[in-house]
Amino acid sequence: MQYWKDESEPIKAFLKLSEALKTDKEIVEGMKKVNQLIWYDYTEDGPNCSYYVDCRNGKFESAAGKPADKPDLVLSLSADNAHKSWSNKLNPVMAITRRQMRIKGSATSLLKLAPKLKKIAVYYEQVLRDLGWEDKIIK
Amino acid sequence: MHGNTGNVIDVDLTERTVTVACPPEDWYLRYIGGSGLAARLFWEMGHFDADPFSPEAMLIFMDGPFAGLKLSGTSRMSVGGRSPLTGNWGDSSCGGYFAPELRYSGYDGIAIRGRAAAPSLLLIEDDRIEIVDAASYWGKGIEEVNNGLKERFGKNHRTLVTGPAGENLVRYAGILNEFHHAFGRAGFGAVMGSKNLKAIVVKSSKQRMALADSKPYEKLRKELNIRIKENLTNSLLRDSGTACNLEGAMFAGDVPIRNFTSNFSEDMGESLSGGTLTEKFLTRRGTCMYCNVGCKRVAAVREGPFAIPEGPGPEYETIVAFGALMGSKDLAAACKAGRICNDLGLDTISAGSTIAWAMEAFEKGDLTLKDTDGVELRWGDMETVIDKVLPAIARREGMLGELLSLGSAAAAERIDKGSIDYTCQSKGLEAPMHDPRGGGHGMALTYAVSPRGACHVAAPMLHMEMGACYYPEIGFEYELEPMTDTHKPEAAVRSMELGSIENSACFCQFADREVSIPEWVGLFNTVAGYGWDAEDMMRAGRRVFYLKRLINYRYGRTSKDDTLTPRMLEPARDGEPMGIEINFSGMKERFYELMDMDPEKGIPREATLREYGMEEEARKVWQE
Repeated sequence: MQYWKDESEPIKAFLKLSEALKTDKEIVEGMKKVNQLIWYDYTEDGPNCSYYVDCRNGKFESAAGKPADKPDLVLSLSADNAHKSWSNKLNPVMAITRRQMRIKGSATSLLKLAPKLKKIAVYYEQVLRDLGWEDKIIK
Repeated sequence: MHGNTGNVIDVDLTERTVTVACPPEDWYLRYIGGSGLAARLFWEMGHFDADPFSPEAMLIFMDGPFAGLKLSGTSRMSVGGRSPLTGNWGDSSCGGYFAPELRYSGYDGIAIRGRAAAPSLLLIEDDRIEIVDAASYWGKGIEEVNNGLKERFGKNHRTLVTGPAGENLVRYAGILNEFHHAFGRAGFGAVMGSKNLKAIVVKSSKQRMALADSKPYEKLRKELNIRIKENLTNSLLRDSGTACNLEGAMFAGDVPIRNFTSNFSEDMGESLSGGTLTEKFLTRRGTCMYCNVGCKRVAAVREGPFAIPEGPGPEYETIVAFGALMGSKDLAAACKAGRICNDLGLDTISAGSTIAWAMEAFEKGDLTLKDTDGVELRWGDMETVIDKVLPAIARREGMLGELLSLGSAAAAERIDKGSIDYTCQSKGLEAPMHDPRGGGHGMALTYAVSPRGACHVAAPMLHMEMGACYYPEIGFEYELEPMTDTHKPEAAVRSMELGSIENSACFCQFADREVSIPEWVGLFNTVAGYGWDAEDMMRAGRRVFYLKRLINYRYGRTSKDDTLTPRMLEPARDGEPMGIEINFSGMKERFYELMDMDPEKGIPREATLREYGMEEEARKVWQE
């Protein structure tokens, strides 16, 4: 991994990002509309390198690992590419075309949040700063 | 032959003769099929001095080598000839159900010339080809005629029909298959109308085609059908139609608003999106023959001023042309406008763009009530568009109908007042609903150099700039940023070659995004026995592009015509692309260098043409 020293680091950052996003009304409403259980699968970088977001039925919860229920949507990619994605430095269409990202399930609803990536990247940068990981910020 | 049949129906409507011609086999290898082969036939048989509406004008329908395969995305075909809208080479492509039926009947295409003495239709049933009286259909809408033809000949007879707009020679009249799938662009419905040809009907008694190497083809077909279906973009297209990403495109600045004067409206993005269409008006999904993408919509608007019964639903282009482009966020109105255009036989892109231009002209005072027969043209007034403007255009009724039937460029030239500057077109063909200022600067280049005019399917540049193309086998490994000129001329060269291949093979741009270069080559070889490697295939694509450029040159088009209007090149006023300049001249100059084209004439140099085996063509344009 280029950006992370072990598999726990990205999950720590991404879960903290989830918490930060819960303070943003617009993004919370958007996630509720997605109404899916999403598993972010980075296990190519380690068996414990994954987390999930459950935004079914008005919830917005996240936790490390694979969810107990069957996910509606699985996004599989490397932890480095996930870092680029949350930093708004990865073109998702290009990542899919080049097989850097694989998707199982319907991504129609999640796609609606794509325009919000720019805003999410601002939160993510702050999360990295809060963790003292300024060196990981992609300029 | 394999894939292709080697047979082209040759119809002279004046003489009422039908023969079957066999183009040289070499032409298929050099120009592939579809619009490429149509261009080669036109080069050989077309009367270059003939007006598009004269009896001598050629109208050429052509399958690609893949039509008839049970492979997603291959049931398309092309029509080509001299466009009455632009006066140049024009072609248009259409999915649906006609192309496979024509192939199974034993033909690759239909070349039509002459003018029937009375309204006629062409009936093709295997070896039986007849010119049949069609007086009872004349003057009727496409839906009624399509239904009538099905009743008369059988529900599985496949139809191509032009509507009242075609009969009245509206310069952007289209042709519809099954009242749903359209040859929209460049006005070939009007060419049909000028020939007194209301419809073409085809039915084959068999469903077979000969393949060069069926075992490897079958393996490839099975793999591709699964991958094409599972492809993320295609699953989105199936879910929400071609407008599935309208909201995302709106944020990118790709969606033109109020005649390209704005690039952002979150409200319109949500109101007009494919998701909204699905929620509010979708009744079921439709498809072209053998395609498992299923991007077509069947829709109904149950109540309100724009109520319509269940029938063909609008595509992305129609939704934006009769939505954001006219300053409307009323999706029901876009559904109804699209349905009416289908019935009248109007290209929704040119119709929408011409009306949006007229709305701006009216706002500016360049068009007055005197010019519009008292009709007020206001942004977002869709009742007026639907009830008054579209019927007037199709009938060329009054001053307004006559003016707007010409298309935006000719209409602007007629009223003058500098209004050409705010038309949105190139070489007379109205631009589709992707604004290159936000959608991608490379698209500005490919719109301008595309032989038929501003076109987003002549080359897959939109897909390339959004990151959906990766072809390392031919050196396309660019990571393109839409709103820059970096690598765009290089990408545009590959894009034009690939687009020419797509439109000659008649393979859908959505489905074929999943096909790698080796798989493309594999299809040509196992289906048609072309015996190509990747370089042969890319050279054929380049050759098709060159040939269409040569045809345009013979119509007087040169480098100076490869441009966009001031409106399309001015920096965007809002949204993501606000204030960003397009380096258009720099990209164009580099593209010309890479394509080895003469910077004044706008055609390939003589030596280059010879290198591509185009000696006869080179002689014609460089020595005569």
